[in-house]
Amino acid sequence: MKTLAALKVLVVEDEALVSMLVEDMLSDLGCIVVGPAAELEEALRLASGADIDAALLDVNLGGRPIFPVADALRERGVPFAFASGYGEAGLSEGHKGATVLQKPFREADLRKVLEGLAAQSV
Amino acid sequence: MNSLARATSRAEEDEVEDLAARLAAAEEALAEEVRRSRALNRIAEAIGAGHDAETLVQTVVDGGVELTGAQFGAFFYKVIDQAGEGLMLYSLSGAPRSAFEGFPTPRGTAVFAPTFKGEGVVRSDDITRDPRYGRNPPHHGMPEGHLPVRSYLAVPVVTRAGDVLGGLFFGHPQPGRFGPRAESLAVGLAGQAAVAIESARTQEAAHVELGQRRDAEERLKFALEAGRLGSWELDVETRAYLASDICKANYGRAPDDDFGFADLVASVHPEDRPRMTAAIDDAIRHGADYDIEYRVCTPGGEVRWVHARGRAAQTADHGGARRMAGVSLDITERKRTEERQKLLLNELNHRVKNTLVSVQSIASQTLRTTDTPEAFRDAFEGRLMALSHTHDLLTQQNWQGASLREIFDFELEAFAARDRIAFDYARDVQLSPKATVALGMAIHELTTNALKYGALSAPGGAVRVAWGPEPDGSEPGGPESGGPGGPQLRLTWTERGGPPVVAPRRHGFGARLLEKGLAGELSAQVTLAYDSLGLVCTMRLPIRALEP
Repeated sequence: MKTLAALKVLVVEDEALVSMLVEDMLSDLGCIVVGPAAELEEALRLASGADIDAALLDVNLGGRPIFPVADALRERGVPFAFASGYGEAGLSEGHKGATVLQKPFREADLRKVLEGLAAQSV
Repeated sequence: MNSLARATSRAEEDEVEDLAARLAAAEEALAEEVRRSRALNRIAEAIGAGHDAETLVQTVVDGGVELTGAQFGAFFYKVIDQAGEGLMLYSLSGAPRSAFEGFPTPRGTAVFAPTFKGEGVVRSDDITRDPRYGRNPPHHGMPEGHLPVRSYLAVPVVTRAGDVLGGLFFGHPQPGRFGPRAESLAVGLAGQAAVAIESARTQEAAHVELGQRRDAEERLKFALEAGRLGSWELDVETRAYLASDICKANYGRAPDDDFGFADLVASVHPEDRPRMTAAIDDAIRHGADYDIEYRVCTPGGEVRWVHARGRAAQTADHGGARRMAGVSLDITERKRTEERQKLLLNELNHRVKNTLVSVQSIASQTLRTTDTPEAFRDAFEGRLMALSHTHDLLTQQNWQGASLREIFDFELEAFAARDRIAFDYARDVQLSPKATVALGMAIHELTTNALKYGALSAPGGAVRVAWGPEPDGSEPGGPESGGPGGPQLRLTWTERGGPPVVAPRRHGFGARLLEKGLAGELSAQVTLAYDSLGLVCTMRLPIRALEP
């Protein structure tokens, strides 16, 4: 738990109900929420410039794939995970093997994923 | 003149007379021979002219009557009809058909049997005195009314293979009319007739078979065309490839285009090509069924799907396959449908999963903002029903979205107070599915709040809902600046006549959803003003975030 305290997590999610849930979970875990970004432009801006330690990305943002955001994060060396109802099948060729949080997920699942990301960012 | 001289002259006269008579007889015989010879030639020519079997038989009977000097002749011959039944047909000469029509066809009686069994010639100077005559019931001889036959000559017509085709029968009312000469002529004629009939029948059978093959080929072609099936053939050794027009069309080629085996292989999508050539090799080497689906790239640059099936024909000595043949079918449509279906299923799965997260979120937040299990149940069920109603509305609209007024009507349907909600707008607004779900939940939260704490909780309270273009113009950072912007819709929810309004002690789910949720999801600006006269909710919604 200690590792997650004050971890700055960018949340990219276009559905209000879902992003509200993720925000609550992240707050419970002691993380600081950056965003949530519901649009690709906003997400790209935060991914390439904001002060963040990790990111949680919804794969599909209003019908547009999130992968440019993932590419920007990779460039900066910011670890990230995808959150998706498609599971790993929804990933593009270039991102196969990335961490995927299958929707719906428990707070414990989210914590495990974030701990993995936090370990990467160290 | 002396007596000797007279005697001599008498003898000479006799001799001359005798000579003259013999000369006349010889001349007559010669003339007869010439006549027969001519007749024979004429008959041979007629037989050789390649008529059908029926005409031939008639020619033979007529010729036979002429050659043998018979009064009447008949040719009884066996045929097999379409049902496979043996029938006896006949041709007549020297007598009308009516002379035979009343009688049954000849049976295997003692007189007829040798002819129909092909045993040999029956020749009688007087058949009525023949020991074989009249021994069979019921007629015991010729039936009453039969042509008066005394002289009788019957020759079997037998093919070289020994099959009896029928018999030639000649008759004359006078006895002793048919000599050995007539017999040998009739036998010769029967031989010629057998050859001619056999050849005519072979030709007829060949003709029928050809017709049947042509019909079968037509039917096959029709079936192939109706099923849009192309057909193809491959010579294994030379790799010569023959494709039907439809087959060529499956690969995007015109009927006149050259399309060889190399073209075929080259047109298969590079990713599928190794699989395709391996399948052909397998079919040729091991006799495996060739059954494969692959993509083809047409000369026009289009990618299509083709299903090809075929089999290699093994040679009788099992020395390997010489040719391979099969069909091809354009399955592009089917493949696209399959892909669409897969896409739809994936999308459905995604939506179900997302909906489950929404429910999870509603449950979690309702739990945080209610104090008792009963309050949780009421609030949770109400929100679940609101979500469900929005889905119903979207399903009704074929998941194309709904209009703002429709969302209100659908959401308020369950509430008794719906006649206390007044609407004020110039034009309804069509919304995307995503905006429909988001606004559906927001309207639900406003309504439940009004019923519980706001204007609708008191008897005289009312709500006014108004929307129209945002009078202040575009939000900062309009489309020309490249940022999010463009025209906005302003929607106001104004409560009046309820109990005095106080700002809530706790930021509830509804307020959070409206102020933060809509802000994120629809890039909206939402303000909740706790006016002393009643709650006023103002939403500024960018049109481009709402539109389908």
